[in-house]
Amino acid sequence: MKKNDKTSTDSSSLVSDKTSSSRRNFFKKAAVYSASAVAASSLLSPVKLSAEEKDDKFITEEQPWATSLGYELNKHPYGVPSPYEHNVVRRTTPLLSSAGDMHAAVSLTPLQDLKGIITPNGLFFTRTHNGVARIDPNKHRLMIHGMVKNPIVLTMEDIKRYPSESVIHFLECPANGAAEWKTPQFDSLQFVKGMVSCAEWTGVRLKTILEDVGVDPKAIWMLAEGGDGSSMSRTIPVEKVMDDAMIVYAMNGEALREEQGYPVRLLLPGWEANLSVKWLKRLEFGDKPWYCKEETSKYTVLLPSGKAIQHFYPLEVNSIITSPCPEKPWTDLKKGDIVEIEGLAWSGKGTITHVDISFDGGKNWVEAKLKGLVLPKAWTRFSYIYKYEGKELMLESRATDDSGDTQPTVNQEKKIMGVEGVYHRNSINTWYVKANGEVHNAQMRS
Amino acid sequence: MLKCVHKTISVGVATLVLTSISAFASFNGKREAVDGGMIYPRANGIYTAYRYNDQNISHFNYGRKPTPNELKAWDTDIMPDGTGLPKGKGTVAEGDELFEEQCAVCHGDFGAGGLGYPTLTGGDRASLTNQRTPGKTDAPKRTIGTYWPKASTLLWYIHDAMPYAHPKSLSWDETYAITAYLLATNEIKLDGKEMDDDTVLSNENFLKIKMPNEDGFIPNIDGPNGVKNVKAFLSDGKNIGAVGVRCMKDCKDDGAKLVVVKDPRTDVNPPFSEVRDLPKKPKDSSIKPGQEEYEKSCAVCHGNDKMGAPDVGNKEAWAKVMKKGMDKVLATAIKGTGAMPPRGGSSYSDEKLKQIIEYMYSKSK
Ligand code: HEC
Ligand code: HEC
Repeated sequence: MKKNDKTSTDSSSLVSDKTSSSRRNFFKKAAVYSASAVAASSLLSPVKLSAEEKDDKFITEEQPWATSLGYELNKHPYGVPSPYEHNVVRRTTPLLSSAGDMHAAVSLTPLQDLKGIITPNGLFFTRTHNGVARIDPNKHRLMIHGMVKNPIVLTMEDIKRYPSESVIHFLECPANGAAEWKTPQFDSLQFVKGMVSCAEWTGVRLKTILEDVGVDPKAIWMLAEGGDGSSMSRTIPVEKVMDDAMIVYAMNGEALREEQGYPVRLLLPGWEANLSVKWLKRLEFGDKPWYCKEETSKYTVLLPSGKAIQHFYPLEVNSIITSPCPEKPWTDLKKGDIVEIEGLAWSGKGTITHVDISFDGGKNWVEAKLKGLVLPKAWTRFSYIYKYEGKELMLESRATDDSGDTQPTVNQEKKIMGVEGVYHRNSINTWYVKANGEVHNAQMRS
Repeated sequence: MLKCVHKTISVGVATLVLTSISAFASFNGKREAVDGGMIYPRANGIYTAYRYNDQNISHFNYGRKPTPNELKAWDTDIMPDGTGLPKGKGTVAEGDELFEEQCAVCHGDFGAGGLGYPTLTGGDRASLTNQRTPGKTDAPKRTIGTYWPKASTLLWYIHDAMPYAHPKSLSWDETYAITAYLLATNEIKLDGKEMDDDTVLSNENFLKIKMPNEDGFIPNIDGPNGVKNVKAFLSDGKNIGAVGVRCMKDCKDDGAKLVVVKDPRTDVNPPFSEVRDLPKKPKDSSIKPGQEEYEKSCAVCHGNDKMGAPDVGNKEAWAKVMKKGMDKVLATAIKGTGAMPPRGGSSYSDEKLKQIIEYMYSKSK
């Protein structure tokens, strides 16, 4: 472009155009804008290629996005992903719902398409018991009472005025993988493990608020109740509350999404996500447990003895290979290609220390590398560089945490827990990689 | 197991001290949490990998004291020992009628299920030991009668959360009646006696209900040692299947065979796809004919009046244009005029151009 060309579209000339209104200028500008519609140019005098060579026309030909004006930058005051990414969405299935009714159901995160350890807010898995509540933050209140010295009512402004902390933690529905207790049912990473997500949460440590409230030392339990239609409630030991519990109002830098409890939720790092009560409106302290519906009828783990485990809090150490996976197979690889095996590991009881990879269904293992941030009760990425041989594999990952727990095999877990417990399944997952690179969900089990 | 854990931790600490390579050196955690997992120290502004403000200022005294009425309005939970039991009463027969009216559409007649929503009655407690291992197809039946440990849960939950679309719409008398009905259909006894149509359930006799599966849950969470019991239970991996071993070579897994998914489920929404393409045009009624083309090809000049183009939204300017009649305007737009290039610089058909102009005009009326 010529140096003194006033029609240039750099920002300085746009500014000056605003004040100038000569007809001559209009015309020049018009010429520039309409020039954008000129057809794509093609390569001048191409060289003759050898038999093995082939031009990529996306290089040799101009593409429409390079020969036209893009859309205005303020088209989406709140940005949206490229429309080309429209298949990267949460998915649901009638199997994980009441009668296909998506008010009491779960939507699963597309783990196969996530990078790093942060789940974008629009892809965070969601479970609701009475639909997603839409709460006016100006009218929302949090009441803290019961066996305390000074019961209080807080507005959202009050809550946000406390000193804040930001922490990265996963949240997982204890029913993650529940469809797989008896046999593999889905051929999809999203449906095998997608009831887990990880975000940076911002809020106040509950302990900070409770210093003002003054909890009676005899109170060993806390009831947390949500403001949604189901008044979702759970009983929580005060010991956890005083360790790392938080009241959070933001995730990944912005206000909580409604599906995640806008305007405020409890956060109990590492524990059944159901305990991190959304739309939080009430905390009551007491010396007896409440026996809420979601800790009796549901979220209890039926054992083969006919007895059920209640108050089963932590999500135990877990991992999954995200690449390859059924959605992201190795069908495009050639023998000898070097490829990264990548995945996610997490533990509600602590910090990931090791992840091992097996290619033969768990007989022999090699240690993978951890990469990126390694944080307590957060997703941790692992990586193993592998030379692809075009052979059948039974690919597994197995995580260990600093509490000393290692993921059990399907058989080890089944022997103690049976297959009817619904919740807390964390046994080793197998991807069956066929010789042609296809990847299918599988298990090593007797 | 525990022994070996402590060894790992102390090795981790030693590494940290000697080489100050933190990596994932356990963050000095101790396996002392109530869930059987780690507690990490929070001291001197450091908590695991995080820093925090350690000015140690406390007592913010935000918020205010709730009024007695506010407490009364919100403190409506009901505990197994009768704490919070509201005044009220209702008969099984009344509950039957209410259930049929308000609940059976989802939970089935008598709460027997079959409609996809939770089954509330039926089954027997012996079924709880059923395991659907190969060849066995009978599921354990988890209903109020076979599974629920406490009746207070039922009264509280129905009042707060049901009926599904209108939670909190039932009076306490109605809630007692429906609860009585559900207990009766589950063959649960009140004061040792079977409940019939005329049985009245009220705050006075509520604690005389005996739930059949009251002792079906472990660990024991009642009494002053409730939390301690949970901690002891969860800390023993044998109780919860936390029995994995970090074997590296020739590991044994007796009888384990590869089971690959057969006839995988495909009833998912939206359907599986990893393709990167443009979404099929949504039948979005909010997008008007011509709107997308206008935004793509014309808005750059017609979005404002800086160029002398009749700007969309400007009533006067468009009234003046349209006074000439559509045929004329379209002809001008095709030919171009002044700073307006032929067809606005596009290659749209005459018909499409007309649609766009109609859209532009419609936004300027
Ligand atoms: C529109 C459908 C619908 C109607 C009507 C309805 N319910 Fe429900 N009910 C549900 C759903 C859905 C759930 C599960 C909610 C969840 O996922 O937490 C449920 C759960 C329950 C449960 C707990 C079941 C369990 O095993 O955990 C009880 C008890 C119950 N409902 C009682 C009632 C009563 C009593 C009424 C009438 C006053 C009623 N319901 C009306 C849909 C309905
Ligand atoms: C490069 C800038 C530019 C673009 C692009 C452009 N226009 Fe224009 N348009 C103008 C200007 C300037 C005028 C006013 C011309 C005049 O009156 O001298 C105008 C005038 C018009 C008029 C009024 C004609 C009349 O009879 O008064 C119509 C209708 C019109 N444009 C339609 C379109 C449509 C449809 C498109 C997109 C397909 C489009 N324009 C794209 C600059 C543009």
